[in-house]
Amino acid sequence: MILEAKDLNYYYQDGEQRRYILKDTSVSFEKGKFYTILGQSGSGKTTLLSLLSALDSPHSGEVLFNDEDIKKIGYEKYRRNNIGIIFQNYNLIPTFTAVENVLIPMSITENEIPEDTKSVAYNLLDYIGIVKSKADRPVNKLSGGEQQRVAIARALATNVELILADEPTGNLDEEMEQEIIDIFKKLAHEHGKCVIVVTHSNEIALQSDQAFLLKKGVLASYE
Amino acid sequence: MNFIKRGFLGITRKKGKSLILLAVIFILGSLISGAISIQQATSNVEKSVKERLGAAATLELDWEEYDKLSEEEMMNVELENIGLDLIKQVGELSYVKYYDYSVSTWLGSESIEAYRGDMEEDFVHHGPSMDFMIKGINYAPVLDFEEQKGKLVDGRVFTQEEVDSGTSVAIISKKLAEKNNLQVGDTFTLANAVYTYDEETGEEEIATSRDLVLEVIGLFESQTIKEDVGADSDSGMIDWMDMDYQNTVYVPNEIVISENKFQYEEYLKTDEEYAEAMEGEEEASFEYYTPMFVLNSPEDSEAFEEEVLPLLPEFYKVVSATDQYDSIAGPMESMSKLSKYVLIAAVIATVLITGLVVLLFLRDRKRELGIYLSLGESRGRVVGQILIEVMVVALIGITLSLFSGNFIASQVSDTLMKADNNNSNEDVIYYSELQIDLTTEDVMDTYEVSLNSNYILVFYGIGLLTILISTVIPLVYIVRLNPKKILM
Ligand SMILES: Nc1ncnc2c1ncn2[C@@H]1O[C@H](COP(=O)(O)OP(=O)(O)OP(=O)(O)O)[C@@H](O)[C@H]1O
Ligand SMILES: [Mg+2]
Repeated sequence: MILEAKDLNYYYQDGEQRRYILKDTSVSFEKGKFYTILGQSGSGKTTLLSLLSALDSPHSGEVLFNDEDIKKIGYEKYRRNNIGIIFQNYNLIPTFTAVENVLIPMSITENEIPEDTKSVAYNLLDYIGIVKSKADRPVNKLSGGEQQRVAIARALATNVELILADEPTGNLDEEMEQEIIDIFKKLAHEHGKCVIVVTHSNEIALQSDQAFLLKKGVLASYE
Repeated sequence: MNFIKRGFLGITRKKGKSLILLAVIFILGSLISGAISIQQATSNVEKSVKERLGAAATLELDWEEYDKLSEEEMMNVELENIGLDLIKQVGELSYVKYYDYSVSTWLGSESIEAYRGDMEEDFVHHGPSMDFMIKGINYAPVLDFEEQKGKLVDGRVFTQEEVDSGTSVAIISKKLAEKNNLQVGDTFTLANAVYTYDEETGEEEIATSRDLVLEVIGLFESQTIKEDVGADSDSGMIDWMDMDYQNTVYVPNEIVISENKFQYEEYLKTDEEYAEAMEGEEEASFEYYTPMFVLNSPEDSEAFEEEVLPLLPEFYKVVSATDQYDSIAGPMESMSKLSKYVLIAAVIATVLITGLVVLLFLRDRKRELGIYLSLGESRGRVVGQILIEVMVVALIGITLSLFSGNFIASQVSDTLMKADNNNSNEDVIYYSELQIDLTTEDVMDTYEVSLNSNYILVFYGIGLLTILISTVIPLVYIVRLNPKKILM
């Protein structure tokens, strides 16, 4: 078990009342598998993912990474060394080139990475489908699909085993969506990573090894 | 791509924004730096000019006040003298470092020649000559030497005993000694002649004369000649003043008094009408002393004046060397005032405007900061990266404005001083014992807008601190948010 959530509670204070987004939610994930989390808009998918990726903290419950509470690891340290995050709107640094965006987490992480970071970054981009001429372009001069590939390369740059993505294909057309999903499958099945993707696309859920449905604050297996 | 490198890349990649920030800091910085420059320059002028003027003060008849009286009033006013008691009383005040009082007279000589500098040929003798200024002293070490007007270069100064008893000893200038082949220990003779005016021939004749034999005990050199006086039109004037000083003979006061007495008595013998008129008057006093007080510091002048004024007889005033500053430093004052207002306004504007600009600068960087946080960068380094970006630009802007402000300051001062100077050039300067050849021009010359290290430090300090604070406060507010709030 690489990642485990135990009894997560998350709510918004609505006047006197607490409006629960997540209620005693528990779930666990293994390495080498591609997971999807489905749910209607507003069901709390992003909220759950932000807790799993330590971008926010739950009101109660815990998230364990390799059986260690991420609070104990330290949120910053956990984000820096243990996970790669992919957002729906890419969240690249617009003033930097694609390769520079990939280099950023490499300078932040404490993980062992090859010395020649630049060629690692170019290779990674090439593997994801960004050729060198595009890698040296400022990212705001790339298409949406290309930008999302750069974001995936950035998530992979620190050599992590856990990839978390929040609607990574939400802004892309179907063709591009399939290419990205293929990359995720490859990462899980060929490189042994744990990939967790939030989506509301049934198509994608069908291609995953396991799908969950988030409904009324509770996570259930989805067949 | 660590945070330092990212900071520098941030500057070069976003040239437009960096230039705007630079321009804002530069313009406001120039204002502040200009105002500080002017402030510093004016306060330096006051200090250095006053120092140059020295801390001397004297008591004088206030002719300006006296001239205001109607003729009738003048008849009824009896001008008192400054008595020795009063001089001593003032001399004992705590502000006074040392003091002297002096009587002087002019004498001629048959046996020695006056020093004429380069202008020997210009002198054609007409009638009697009184080339030598005989200056009595009471302060044995000689005040003029202590105050650097002259410098003893050979022999010695007086002893108190010589001063008290009126011994026939003198200190003369080295140039005068050289011209007449005199050495320390030699004696020379001055003539105290009383002249009569022959109404028929219109010529002056010597009625009677007596010799004054003085022993040279010391030689002095003048210290006040300006080195940079070249061939310009003023130099003639200064040469004349210097020549008078070269022909000054320092002696104890008693000697001068005795010579004056002789002259008076002999004069009475030659002019019967005058003698009759003076009959019955109290015995004439020959002690018309000119006092000279040297204060501990030029800054004491005002306090000294305040304390002394009530002690003086009517129509007397205290004249301080630093008074001259006030009469010629008008332009400086207005400049100092102006720069003060500019400085206050500029500092307030800078704090507000840089604060706002930096805030705007950061606002659309909020997402970027969130991204760094989501990648696990520490808050400190995220703040550090932005600080590098802002501070490097600020440093450049401040450095540039240091020079431009200085340049502006000197331009503005030039224009202002010229304009002001034209209006106030007609000061009538009454002759005074303390007059030093110092003009408004000289004050302007002392005025120098310059970059001193203290000023540079203060300016960088204020500038960087302002920008640091206006950057760090909004930054800290942003990075304390959790990344989800920023990004998702
Ligand atoms: N600041 C907030 N205050 C109150 N309620 C909020 C706040 N932010 C989000 N919510 C609510 O929390 C719930 C969960 O939001 P979340 O973003 O996790 O949903 P989601 O499943 O990701 O939706 P989508 O599919 O549209 O992205 C939503 O109903 C939303 O309205
Ligand atoms: Mg969402």
